[in-house]
Amino acid sequence: MEIKTAEYNVWNEGSTIHYEGTLRLSGTDAYQPILDLMQQVLAEKPQNVVLDLTQLEFLNSSGINLLAKFTIELRKHPDIAMKVLGSTKIPWQSKSLPNLQKLHKGVELIIV
Amino acid sequence: MNQTFGDTTRNNGSGAFAMRLVISDGPLGVSWKHASETCEFLGDVFALQHAKRGADYNDARHSIIYLVNELLENAIKFRVPGSIRVDCSLADGNFELTVTNDAAPDVANRFQSLIEEITSRDPGELLIERIEANAADDSSSGSGLGLLTLMNDYGARLGWVFRSTGPAVMLSTHAALTLN
Repeated sequence: MEIKTAEYNVWNEGSTIHYEGTLRLSGTDAYQPILDLMQQVLAEKPQNVVLDLTQLEFLNSSGINLLAKFTIELRKHPDIAMKVLGSTKIPWQSKSLPNLQKLHKGVELIIV
Repeated sequence: MNQTFGDTTRNNGSGAFAMRLVISDGPLGVSWKHASETCEFLGDVFALQHAKRGADYNDARHSIIYLVNELLENAIKFRVPGSIRVDCSLADGNFELTVTNDAAPDVANRFQSLIEEITSRDPGELLIERIEANAADDSSSGSGLGLLTLMNDYGARLGWVFRSTGPAVMLSTHAALTLN
């Protein structure tokens, strides 16, 4: 599965979901196709889900809400491990991603 | 009548590096894209100025872009037709931003209720509570989350002034950010 535009790409390889570029969509409805892709990965009942954000330069607050919603969804599946990969070179990630761990203690957050 | 909420203190004086941009509601209209183009431009210009002090260009650029983008997204979403004015200044690592636009009175009233709620308690706790509430309600738009991330994740100081100017309400959103 892949969503490709001039500004961003989102695709999965197995249960790893990759995000690349700049995501500044206007709200919940605009983010729905991306949430659908994430939920399709979850529907396969994988052992773990990895969100690879290391190439996602920018995410607006509506997009942060999307990640938060998905994290809360994962809380209902304690058998599925969740890992979030970030980069110290992209400032929003160190500032905002720790909020995901407040929502779900099981989230493994790796920012390198 | 003016109504003020939050922190509207302005510290940058006439010696600050400053810029005003007006997004005019001309024949081409104001679109979502104006938020991203404006914030990228201001992020580049003000982070370059800040980096002259030997500061972290990347971090400053990102923080300015996130701040300007969130406030402009709100202005574009909730305004009535008319221009949006963006005033920015920088002095000694203190970045100040004011976004001014007109809003309909009922929208302004609802926004005031939201502001009272999100400025009443610790933004970190409120952020998590609102995310939980949004996740439980599919129809929720997540309003207020942008402002809460600015306060909690970026340490932004926010304030609002509402001025009744006839049929519309002129809203000025003030933000101040200490850049690293």
